[in-house]
Amino acid sequence: MVSIAEDGYNVHLKFTPKLANDWKNAMLASSELAVGNYQYLTRRVLDSMNASQLESKLWLVSTLQEFDIKPQRVALLAGWFAQYIVPLMFDTFPECEWIENFEIDHDVTPISYKFNKRYKDENRYKINMRNVMIKPLKFRQNPNTPIPKEDVYDVIINCACEHMYPMWKFREMNNAVQRNPLLVLQSSNDARHDDHINCVQSEEELIDQARIKHVIYSGTKLLPNKSIRFMVIGR
Amino acid sequence: MIENTILCVKWGDKYGREYVEKLKQQCEENCSVPFNFYCLTDKKEEPYDILLPTTWDKYEGLHSRYRNVQAPSNMWAYRKLYMFQLDKVVGGGGWNVSETDFKSIAGDKFLYLDLDVIIHQDLKYFFELSMARPWIVRGWWNDTNECRKNYAAMKSTPINSSVIRWNRSQLVRVYDHIRKNLDVLFFTYPTIDNYLNHFWYNMWYEDLPEEELAKKSDFNIFPPGTIYSYYRGNTWPNDVEEKKLRPDHKICLFNNSAETNDVEELKSLW
Repeated sequence: MVSIAEDGYNVHLKFTPKLANDWKNAMLASSELAVGNYQYLTRRVLDSMNASQLESKLWLVSTLQEFDIKPQRVALLAGWFAQYIVPLMFDTFPECEWIENFEIDHDVTPISYKFNKRYKDENRYKINMRNVMIKPLKFRQNPNTPIPKEDVYDVIINCACEHMYPMWKFREMNNAVQRNPLLVLQSSNDARHDDHINCVQSEEELIDQARIKHVIYSGTKLLPNKSIRFMVIGR
Repeated sequence: MIENTILCVKWGDKYGREYVEKLKQQCEENCSVPFNFYCLTDKKEEPYDILLPTTWDKYEGLHSRYRNVQAPSNMWAYRKLYMFQLDKVVGGGGWNVSETDFKSIAGDKFLYLDLDVIIHQDLKYFFELSMARPWIVRGWWNDTNECRKNYAAMKSTPINSSVIRWNRSQLVRVYDHIRKNLDVLFFTYPTIDNYLNHFWYNMWYEDLPEEELAKKSDFNIFPPGTIYSYYRGNTWPNDVEEKKLRPDHKICLFNNSAETNDVEELKSLW
């Protein structure tokens, strides 16, 4: 097994043969799904795998571990292809039962399932096409587990807050059906992209947007792409 | 009672009254079935004018593309969605917007037209369409790859709201969806076409048979050869010559995202 270790992090992405096989199939699918000779999907997949993407996820998982947070049932909001965050979470937190990725981009589903096929086959990873700022998370009571439906997700991860309406809306909408899950939020000051509709300039602004009252962690990180990333963990 | 109704929207100063009059004249010259004509506007001047509500005005400029800039937003286009509330019979109660005279709008078959269009052929075609689902323009001039690539960036939308055909009450749920999510929608979607594309149309299933597609997309799309763009062309990739009139089509649009002086250019073609 090869570990790709970034200096300063206590978590690694375990580059196992199963991961290699899934990723190879995902990359192959991204090129085959491209229509005509404009391979936009392959390009998007590569964008999702750059150094800044990996560093952000290593930072997130590493910080969760530092604070002894042990996610069990995770709602991942706008997780995109989720090829980094999903294996990092499962490898780092043995108690993590499953992760559900809520996305709106239909291109994500086939590729993300291939990247994470080993977890999908074990029913530990699922994609749900849902706009989380319009509809609350959908709760299905699993008769085989004693988890009450108001406590389905103990951790909500959103590494894409800059792409959407402020998170207070999500909290308000889900308040009636979800006990007080831990929020793990990342956002950016990088306003160069059309789809970054809600950039912030500080972690305090991110805290305000999510109306977090109890902050467990907040911090900033300068990423390889020169943008500043903010992270807040709290309730 | 005349059941066919043609609607347009005039808001602000981009287009003068002469555009409404020209559109009305084009409709009279190119529609072989009887129709009512109304202009939804912020300034009533003519008997056919209907006052637009102002309920959504406070959301003007909420999207990040328009924050901290002087450029006008595309909010004016959103205002056309007020007309989707047309769900009650004339004289009926229960209207959501009591400050307007929307309830005086007659007819059950609605055809919306932007002011900047040239009508080439008989509009009767639109009133005879099968109405299992409402109809909207598919920008066949767009490269589908670009539309999918820019889905999250909300650019290059496959559908275009310059022409919409629906029956009374058919689009009330779109209106209600907007009304219930005003803050999120105006913050998130820079244009009406972005919004409609994300919630009411699904380009990923365009190749499905009609009965399957109907389950995936709320809007039907006008087929190729019906509506084209003066500035973008007709169908990608083989017929995209710009600034070419195609009189064998029904309607020509002048959608160009305000990149050129389309107002004067359109006038020169009247």
